Amino acid sequence: MLKVNNSKQSLTLDSRTSLLDALREYLSLTGTKKGCDHGQCGACTVIMDGKRQLSCLTLAATCEGAEVTTVEGLATKGKMHPMQAAFVKHDGFQCGYCTPGQICSSVALLDEAKNGEASYLTEDVRKISKKLKLSEEEIRERLSGNICRCGAYNNIVQAFKEVHSGDDEMPTWEFATEAQMKSAKTN
Amino acid sequence: MQTKNATGVGTAINRVEGYLKVTGQATYASEFQIENKVYGQGINSTIAKGEITSIDTSEAEKLKGVLKIITYKNAEKLKGFDEERPVVETDSIAPVLQSNKVHYYGEYVGFVVAETFEQAQYAASLVKFTYKADPTAHFNFGTKKSKAYKPSEESDHKRGDVKKGFSEADETIEATYNTPIEHQHPMELHATIASWKDGKVLAYASQQIVEDAVIAISGTFLIPKKDIRVVANYVGGGFGSKLNVERHLIMAVMASKIIGRPVQATVTRTQMFTNTGMRQANIQTVKLGAKKSGRLTALTHEILSHTSTTQEFQEPCGSMSKMMYKVANVNISERLIPMNLQQPFSMRAPGEATGSFALESAMDELAYKLGMDPIEFRIKNDTQDDLHEEKPFSSRLLVECLNIGAKKFGWDKRKEKPRSNKKGNWLIGYGVSAAARAAPYKETHAKLKLELKDKTVTATLQMDATDIGTGSYTILAQTVSEYLDIPVEQVVVQLGDSDFPVTPGSGGSWGAASYCNGAQSACENALKTLKKNRNIPDDEDVAIAELLKKNQITSYESEGLAIPDSAFEKHSVFSFGANFTEVWVDKDTGMYKIKRMVHAGSAGKILNPKTAYGQVIGGLTMGAGMVIAEQTRVEPNFGNFITRSFSDYHVPVNLDIGNIDVVFLPEEDKVANKMGIKGIGELGITSVAASIANAIFNATGKRMRDLPITPEKLVMADVEVGVEE
Amino acid sequence: MRPFTYTGTTSKDEALNAFTKTSHYLSGGTNLLDLMKEHVEQPDQLIYVKNLRYNTISANKDGSFTLGAMLSNAATANHKDIRTHYPLLSMAMLSAATAQIRNMATNGGNLLQRTRCPYFFETSMPCNKREPGSGCGALKGMNAQHAIFGYSDKCIATHPSDMCVALAAIGAKVEVQQPDGNSRTIDFTDFHRLPGDHPEKDTNLEPGELITHIHLPKPVLSNHYAYIKIRERSSYAFALVSVAAGFQIENGKISNIGLAMGGVAHKPWKLTEAEEFLLGKKPTEANFKKAADLAMKDAKPFEDNAYKVPMGKNAIVRALMQAKEIGK
Repeated sequence: MLKVNNSKQSLTLDSRTSLLDALREYLSLTGTKKGCDHGQCGACTVIMDGKRQLSCLTLAATCEGAEVTTVEGLATKGKMHPMQAAFVKHDGFQCGYCTPGQICSSVALLDEAKNGEASYLTEDVRKISKKLKLSEEEIRERLSGNICRCGAYNNIVQAFKEVHSGDDEMPTWEFATEAQMKSAKTN
Repeated sequence: MQTKNATGVGTAINRVEGYLKVTGQATYASEFQIENKVYGQGINSTIAKGEITSIDTSEAEKLKGVLKIITYKNAEKLKGFDEERPVVETDSIAPVLQSNKVHYYGEYVGFVVAETFEQAQYAASLVKFTYKADPTAHFNFGTKKSKAYKPSEESDHKRGDVKKGFSEADETIEATYNTPIEHQHPMELHATIASWKDGKVLAYASQQIVEDAVIAISGTFLIPKKDIRVVANYVGGGFGSKLNVERHLIMAVMASKIIGRPVQATVTRTQMFTNTGMRQANIQTVKLGAKKSGRLTALTHEILSHTSTTQEFQEPCGSMSKMMYKVANVNISERLIPMNLQQPFSMRAPGEATGSFALESAMDELAYKLGMDPIEFRIKNDTQDDLHEEKPFSSRLLVECLNIGAKKFGWDKRKEKPRSNKKGNWLIGYGVSAAARAAPYKETHAKLKLELKDKTVTATLQMDATDIGTGSYTILAQTVSEYLDIPVEQVVVQLGDSDFPVTPGSGGSWGAASYCNGAQSACENALKTLKKNRNIPDDEDVAIAELLKKNQITSYESEGLAIPDSAFEKHSVFSFGANFTEVWVDKDTGMYKIKRMVHAGSAGKILNPKTAYGQVIGGLTMGAGMVIAEQTRVEPNFGNFITRSFSDYHVPVNLDIGNIDVVFLPEEDKVANKMGIKGIGELGITSVAASIANAIFNATGKRMRDLPITPEKLVMADVEVGVEE
Repeated sequence: MRPFTYTGTTSKDEALNAFTKTSHYLSGGTNLLDLMKEHVEQPDQLIYVKNLRYNTISANKDGSFTLGAMLSNAATANHKDIRTHYPLLSMAMLSAATAQIRNMATNGGNLLQRTRCPYFFETSMPCNKREPGSGCGALKGMNAQHAIFGYSDKCIATHPSDMCVALAAIGAKVEVQQPDGNSRTIDFTDFHRLPGDHPEKDTNLEPGELITHIHLPKPVLSNHYAYIKIRERSSYAFALVSVAAGFQIENGKISNIGLAMGGVAHKPWKLTEAEEFLLGKKPTEANFKKAADLAMKDAKPFEDNAYKVPMGKNAIVRALMQAKEIGK
């Protein structure tokens, strides 16, 4: 018995079946992606009992009684989770294949920050408080378990920041002005 | 061209398929719900060269669920190559399992089909192959250099007299730059669900060029193109790896033909090293000569690369050296060694990404030797003519890119003396490089369907184009929005299906220009005909809904065709850019941070700055990957890739990348094409590696000429002679 | 993956009783399942032990602490007692893998991580650790990541764990349940083995033994601590070289010290000689450099990993300097 996105699913599976393959091949929940199948990319990230985990290195058999949330379970009644909306707004993806994992990871990270969980970049783990406001570097470290080969990292950080702290200031694009063009013509 | 509405060309709208992607509903190749499907798993050879002497399938066959084990002994006969080592093309045939010969470690030697994924995976591990290894296998690049050959006449480019050029030079530098085997590694594993039914093939497949996949399947199985349909609605990244048909797709089609059920085949991440393309290693020697004034007098660029023993691919590493600078005396040569390694093929900006590392590093070395600012040095050697093609550039704003980028970056704060900018344990450096990437444009067809309902027009655009993350869906919706003057919400874009009109697909930075001009043509044809039918002058503004009404119709179909014209042929069409990097290198550990980057680019009309920015930062990130850690290493005794997983092949993670500012130069290159579009996806990666390596030199005084620049190399490297510690 | 029987358990007795020679205990699974997918590990039975109640951290009367073996790495590293009293352990654990993997991986499992030597992972290559008698491919092959201390001609692999480097520095003990119902405690330095003639054995655990607890001695290294990890990319990569350093300063002199390295040997490499040298000395850069020289003097690198010697020295000095700094 698997509980996925608040719905109970009864499945009889091969003992070898990973949670990832159970979702994709047996429950038609293909939002969770297979990027390496070896715990080295993060594309298969789901939220289990509130914690982000890798579904490719989780046997479905061990999920008895656990609550699994996949990317399909984040939106409610067609309304995107704020993190999903922020990813769209800030273009936090290109091909879209790592995106469900990035989003599940980001949603779980919101709670980790609230709970005051530390990271390797924490200045002094002896002193850490709840409700952390994560710096850009901290966000990058904590989202480094999700590889994006298209290289949308900066936009992902921006999307996370907006939901996490309301702050989405980061370098982005601009167009050179006519005056700039004129003065740049020669050395 | 004036943007008439809020969602037309040039506006920074969100991706139109964004909702589907962030909610997990975009359907990639292996995600179509197909009844009765089974699972296939390829088996790889474990010698680098030789023959299969026996195969034992008995143990695997005994397993529950195993349906078929295909090897050369029972495989369908496929079309083979007609000549020795034909050049790889995006529509090349892909014969597989045709003989007992093994050409490289990791080549497919079998394919198992079973009821479930788990059964197929395990069964594949139980099929036993016995080999007779051939000791003449060659897999250590850099040895047996005498076997190198000249692949074609274009492999050499000579102009002027380099001997004379160097004799005129006041300063010269000569250096050798090494780039390793790299892999594209899109996040989506190559996958297909393929079926063969009543002689017809249907393949959901992760392909960048749908039409060429059809041609390749047709050519390999010798069946008519019309009996093949390839669907690639969403492709989880390509970077060149999905340009052509790879052999798991052929094996899946073959298996489906044999067992009569649809076959799903997803390659493993390890097979993404051995069976889905790669960028080969290159050894490049560049020699430059210049006057004290900074004027280049001569340039030579010798390139040694490797191809497989079965097909030929030459990465054109000399492409940028041919056209970038105003230098009269040039010798460029590209040579190949056939090796018992997987066939290399295009990876993002083939030629430019690696060639620019050599050229733009050498430019930095010579600027340093001349005591000249590296930006000034490049500007001094600017040219508005392509001296290789002997044509004018359609437009070239490189000087503007360098100057505007330098301002944005704060280049004036750079300390000229290497190893002189220190902060605690950090050594800080700034680096610059220039970039150019050809902006091709190819014949493209499109179909537009208009439907009028309750005074609202819905426009459906169909093309076999793909969106591999590049933003095709979005910029095409914007193009239709622009030219029909309707909001994107009324535009439906349908892509990635060989039933749709033919386009060149995604690759080579031709996608945006080709696709959008094709779509524009379909819009223009619709408007023209609908106006003509009612005797309305072409230049009169009539809303599309009104036009349909006047024609007393509620639906209409038009076709579009975009094709390069003579102005395009008469010019050399390139995108240009400049990259700036600030790095902080730890003086003791060799670890470093790319603090920030600036890219200033002129890539024609920017169709959507939001998705264009994505292309640029993606290119910069992959360029950073070339420097940070990306490399696939060949085991020296056995010839296999010892780098075989994402935990060995380190692509950049989020923390590896710093802030990136992008400045687009306002440019509409109407010589290039009607809409003034040039490619940007490959410009973004070009010369990034050099800008970082040059920054590392500025920071540490260590000249790093072998990619990647890992902590172990930095710790062991010496500071260049003359640099103060 | 080879087919296996999955056995869920609710008590340690159930788990111990279910064990056969070809069984594996399964906890977080982050390493074992990976190896099973690679066909490196092929057990007949997986006995799931993660739900056993060895999932707490307890403070003992003598001031020491005990970690449950089935508690996740993330929960351990973030536990207030660990952060406060063993910040070195927290940092080492937080440097490892990714948030997702730390949420899954357990403390007991972390100790049993197997090497990331690519010859071990690729079943078509020789490897004495995977297949005794088949040879060591790395010895005359590619050995950039390999050991510079304590290897044998049978195996030159390194131990991949970060957590274990900190545990070696701290001087932990490992408590295991034996199949007969008794338990025993193993000193951390004796837990992992050097390869010798039997590289297939990573640890001194006997078949069927189940790790239940890790005992941490009374905290004396929490004032000055640092875990330095040098790797190819800034996150999500195994260490080329890592250093765990913790010490206490009394009257301007080092009164307690724990120092260990990762990425250099078949087991977490305790720097005993350097520790002894620094004990009672002033925490100066000069002394740290001397300690680093002592620590690395017996290093015997291979063709590709000579860089580990200067990098290792620099990392030791950096860790000690950083530890000195953070205590202020």
